[in-house]
Amino acid sequence: MSTELETYYGLPANVEFCTRCVYSNQRPNSVSEAAHTAESKKVTLRFDADGLCDACRTAELKESINWEEREQELVALLDKYRRTDGYYDCIVPGSGGKDRCYAAHVLKYKYGMNPLTVTWPPVLYPEYGYPNCRNWIEIGGFDNITMKQNGRTMKLLTRLAIENLFHPFQTFIIGQKFMAPKLAVKMGIPLIFYGEHAAEFGNPIAETASAVKQQAEYTMDNIDDIHFGGASVRELREEHGLTLGDLAAFLPVNPREIDGNPIDFRYLGYYLKWLPQEAYYYASEHMEFQARPFRTEGTYSKYMSLDDKIDDLNYYTYFIKFGFGRCTEDASQEIRNEHLTREEGCALVARYDGEFPRRYFGEVMEYLEMDSDHFMELCDKFRSPHLWAKVGGDWKLRHTVNRDGIDD
Amino acid sequence: MNPSAKPKVAIVDYELANMFSVARACAHAGLDPVVTSEPRGLEDATAVILPGVGAFGEAMANLHRLGLVSPIQNVIASGKPFLGICLGMQLLFSESEEFGTTEGLGIIPGRVIRFPRTNDQGAATRVPQIGWNRLSRPRSASWEGTLLATTPNEEYMYFLHSYYAIPDDSSVTLCTTEYEGTGYCSGVARRNVAGLQFHPEKSARRGLAIYEAFARQITEAEDTRS
Amino acid sequence: MSIRVIPRLDIKGPNLVKGIHLEGLRVLGKPEDFARHYYEAGADEMIYQDVVASLYGRNSLHQIVARAAESTFIPLTVGGGLRSVDDIRNVLRAGADKVSLNTAAVNDPDLISRAARTFGSSAIVISIEAIRQTDGRYLAFTDNGREQTGTEVVSWAKRVEELGAGEICLTSVDREGTGRGYDTDLIAQVAHAVSIPVIAHGGAGSAEHVAEAVLAGASAVAFASIVHYEFVRAHHRSEGHEEEGNTTFLRGDRQFSRVTPVSLQQIKDHLASRGIECRPASAA
Repeated sequence: MSTELETYYGLPANVEFCTRCVYSNQRPNSVSEAAHTAESKKVTLRFDADGLCDACRTAELKESINWEEREQELVALLDKYRRTDGYYDCIVPGSGGKDRCYAAHVLKYKYGMNPLTVTWPPVLYPEYGYPNCRNWIEIGGFDNITMKQNGRTMKLLTRLAIENLFHPFQTFIIGQKFMAPKLAVKMGIPLIFYGEHAAEFGNPIAETASAVKQQAEYTMDNIDDIHFGGASVRELREEHGLTLGDLAAFLPVNPREIDGNPIDFRYLGYYLKWLPQEAYYYASEHMEFQARPFRTEGTYSKYMSLDDKIDDLNYYTYFIKFGFGRCTEDASQEIRNEHLTREEGCALVARYDGEFPRRYFGEVMEYLEMDSDHFMELCDKFRSPHLWAKVGGDWKLRHTVNRDGIDD
Repeated sequence: MNPSAKPKVAIVDYELANMFSVARACAHAGLDPVVTSEPRGLEDATAVILPGVGAFGEAMANLHRLGLVSPIQNVIASGKPFLGICLGMQLLFSESEEFGTTEGLGIIPGRVIRFPRTNDQGAATRVPQIGWNRLSRPRSASWEGTLLATTPNEEYMYFLHSYYAIPDDSSVTLCTTEYEGTGYCSGVARRNVAGLQFHPEKSARRGLAIYEAFARQITEAEDTRS
Repeated sequence: MSIRVIPRLDIKGPNLVKGIHLEGLRVLGKPEDFARHYYEAGADEMIYQDVVASLYGRNSLHQIVARAAESTFIPLTVGGGLRSVDDIRNVLRAGADKVSLNTAAVNDPDLISRAARTFGSSAIVISIEAIRQTDGRYLAFTDNGREQTGTEVVSWAKRVEELGAGEICLTSVDREGTGRGYDTDLIAQVAHAVSIPVIAHGGAGSAEHVAEAVLAGASAVAFASIVHYEFVRAHHRSEGHEEEGNTTFLRGDRQFSRVTPVSLQQIKDHLASRGIECRPASAA
């Protein structure tokens, strides 16, 4: 192509695919959602000179880690915090997904901790996700606090996130991220455990060396600078009629509250070698975790990410914005963990990536009070020209991992 | 005869059987199996196996079409060891009632009929019989010198069939089996001809032992001839 | 009439795998090791299922089947990704005695008739994956419980019988791999609706569960976890470098607490103790 194609979101102009998994270099790293606006430029997945992505590089490094040492570090850490007086000594956030089921269970039953599980409930519980959440608590045996959000705020912020950022999942990400530290402060529980390490998914490897999540992500000094749904809190108050009270569930921790009560954030995946598929077996074995009784749209998997009906739509927006979908995510992870070969991953991507999430679409639109045609218009607005071309009335990818894009 | 040469067994291919498991069992028993649909193939072999799974009528039609009926009858008349398995055993008989009356090879007088519609409990008979069932030695009979020489009485073998044979002369009956209240002839032996309603190549070690017995019979027959 | 006891081997590439709800690819070892063991231990038949064939539109079991057929002289049923009469012919030539069809039969029911006419009904097993809906109905699925057909299991079972299927292999996706027991309601419904044999599959956690499946109307019973985990426990081989698949489980715990690992002998002895006739497991 002689003409330069415009790239949205600061994405790299050339589209490349990892030589080991099926990730593309368009994949954005996790962002600080509270600073996320429509103008935000993405930092994307790095590839090294051999064409290997950071996530694959991390997977390689995992093989050379001394996991016995890491477990000893974990035990030393837990010994510091463990309580035997009946009160909680750590928080495990989650909605009943296999990874959090595993984390809470292993912390309690193998390492003798007393975790409190905290749940930021999904926008819309799927019939098959809810029993897993319930079983986590009832069969796994944990106390649970579920923070049901102000419904009007939730709906508005989710809709704004879609309108401005095309990011249906933002409210969940924000809510889950900020809820745990707020509860930790209020309830005097100084340790929070997350599960899989972000570097597993391609965030910069420098983070791998430390298990501690940045505290800075969880606090913000200037409330008015915080953005939800791409709109600042000031805009939300002035233009959308929300009060600070309406936003209480979504706001980050007040940094002054943490000063006196430092919170320790840890990734369990730093200490215990993480294998998501084995977490599925573990959760099934110990907590009757059930796979979906049908294939999740957009992928081949039945056991990954079952918690929210809007999840399917969320991955679809990934497909629109970045040119790869849920199948790419799932397959890449399973390739790195050696369940699949790259060839199989490519075949799966060809078959399922970008499949429209028909099953729950109507229900989600109804919840959001959004017109489905409008949503389809938004799709077109968020397609970056360097990724998409319209051919005979249909949108086609310019590049795919199977090299059957329009420009391949 | 060169004692180290493996006896050649022709396995008749008339487009209706899984011959491959029969061939493997033969090889396992030290025979040299040759799958063939040529009359010449039958003549060249030291022994012949007629396998078969499927419909009697179609089987006979194929055998006629391939010009194999006379060659089979000739091979049998020549005294070579001949083994019919499952449908292959049924084809040895005079006729079958499957889809009207169809004429068989007429080697052994008798007919082939279907399992009764209802079993001894008054319920519909599950047809075909698929599974393991026992071979009973007829009273006052001996299995010595037969294909069942090393088979214990009441041993389990693998069956898969909807029809069974009734020989006119019960003295050819080698073994009987009972299925859902019907006792029937599950094996015949007369001179150089044997028929087994079950699948010895699917009957594990005891089934392979029958192929080994067949191999011994072939060697003895060869020795007698040479 | 004796009941057939059938280990089912789920295969991906060179490995035997074991899922839960027909999902997950936990590697337990090499299929030929398990097959040899089960043959010698008195299995009445075996099922080889390529669990990813449908997903990738391929069936690559020929080598494994051919190797198995060389040394295991019991009926072998092979399934996974078989799409046409030619596919079936190739697999039968490689050494299978029966083939198992699901997706292809659902997409083209007439294939059942064509296959039955060409190879005989007795060579054609139709695999039905059943998932219980919240209203109590059982619906049939394909692709390891992934794709909904919208058809009720019982009516589909009757239809495949009419079309010429020799047997039905009935899997409860809900129970599969969980060790919670077979879905005896499901088995009873299907067994009473058809006159061809029903092979029950999915959920065995103990030998008693196997008996329950028979008492519910199954003519044959297939299982995987209870015997595979027993083999894994009893045979501590240090594996060499695996060419594919994740072997974390094998190198670690090697236990799955939801099932009582049992041998084929124990299963058959238990069936006999419950008055259920089956071919004895004692080495023949």
